[in-house]
Amino acid sequence: MSVPLSQMWTVASYVLAQRFRGRRKYPLVLMLEPLFRCNLACAGCGKIQYPGQILRKHLTVEQCLRAVDECGAPIVSIPGGEPLMYPEIGRLVTELVARKKYVYLCTNAILLKEKLEAGVFTPSKYLSFSIHMDGLREEHDEAVCKDGVFDQAVEGIREALGRGHRVTTNTTLFEGADPERVRRFFDAMMDLGVEGMMVSPGYSYSKAPDQEHFLRKQRANELFRRILSSPKRRWRFNQSPLFLQFLMGKRDYECTPWGNPTFNVFGWQRPCYLLQEGYARTFQELIDGTRWERYGKRSGNEKCRDCMVHCGFEATAVQETFSSWRGLRDTVVATVSGRA
Amino acid sequence: MEGEKTLEGWTPEPDAELPLAHIVDLAFDYRGNTTVVKRDGTELHGYVFNRDADVEAPYLEMFDTDGGGPYRVPYAEVRTIHFTGKDTAAGKSYAAWIARKQAEKAGRQAGHAPP
Repeated sequence: MSVPLSQMWTVASYVLAQRFRGRRKYPLVLMLEPLFRCNLACAGCGKIQYPGQILRKHLTVEQCLRAVDECGAPIVSIPGGEPLMYPEIGRLVTELVARKKYVYLCTNAILLKEKLEAGVFTPSKYLSFSIHMDGLREEHDEAVCKDGVFDQAVEGIREALGRGHRVTTNTTLFEGADPERVRRFFDAMMDLGVEGMMVSPGYSYSKAPDQEHFLRKQRANELFRRILSSPKRRWRFNQSPLFLQFLMGKRDYECTPWGNPTFNVFGWQRPCYLLQEGYARTFQELIDGTRWERYGKRSGNEKCRDCMVHCGFEATAVQETFSSWRGLRDTVVATVSGRA
Repeated sequence: MEGEKTLEGWTPEPDAELPLAHIVDLAFDYRGNTTVVKRDGTELHGYVFNRDADVEAPYLEMFDTDGGGPYRVPYAEVRTIHFTGKDTAAGKSYAAWIARKQAEKAGRQAGHAPP
């Protein structure tokens, strides 16, 4: 576990405060998408397949900050699209850091070195670059449908680390992933010196074109067992150890779709980051007006049946940590022992 | 990729078997611009990004082709929707990418194969 203590404390106190207030549906991570435009065209990504006038749109910083204040989550993840293409990314991050939000800027890192050299970002414990890395060079370049991106990302990581920034990686594993190569990839990321890694199975966006290539739950459990059953001590993950146990099939969780609400140029996305079933104009409307009973495994919704993606289940894992002594004990044991 | 279905160019007319609400749902799922044909004969061109059929007065929301909006249009004002814009999701599958990579690899190997 590599999450800094101050961040852990912020999340813990936030979750406990929500529970103390009796709030049943509360957000943990705001997924803030200021734009859909990207400098890659990954086949697995449904986010970029829009007409030109939609790809040219982006939120204003003020719209972003209103969403952040409205939502209140202690962590803000900025995916996209490619957030480094957002014209005001520097100002947005500065404003979020000033609000003491823990920011994960999710980037393919193609523009990272250029932005760092331009002085767009100042190192802060509140800011982490979360670099999209789907494996070693061959696997990553194949996943992003472009050769050379892995090397650019590595260069960006080195530049960011050299300047004193927090750097993590986020990895989506697709069907056919080779467990041994994934383990070698983890070693490579640790050798680079990243703070921690995030890993999740892929999911078929309902509008994504390659649904048949994404992992199904059972195969995903098997894959993650083979990857994580004997983890190396040096591996550090920037996510809940209980979530990793869930990926391995050791825990059975229900989705918490409101845990990672998504805001973008269309509004507040119903019901989650992955499914696009409509949009609400306010966060409260999202919470109050979404028919949550239609989602999650228990609902029988086939779109949710095999989903194990972190944006739905990491919040569940965090809630388990803070909802019982057993959950807290299991988290501490897994963290201290380094075993998922 | 060849064989992938797209609604691009489809100009449906609602009837008993194809209700307007279903056409709106298809337009909402469609990754291209559409033409919303209103009952008064006017047309709106743009991207349908939202709809809610569960409220008292069902509506759709769209941005026009210049990015203006969002505009909210009640179902009651809509006669039909035509799928006039390019389907931006068509032909961009992961399978197509893999097939292309494999073809490139095979081509390279063939080019370097000993006679």
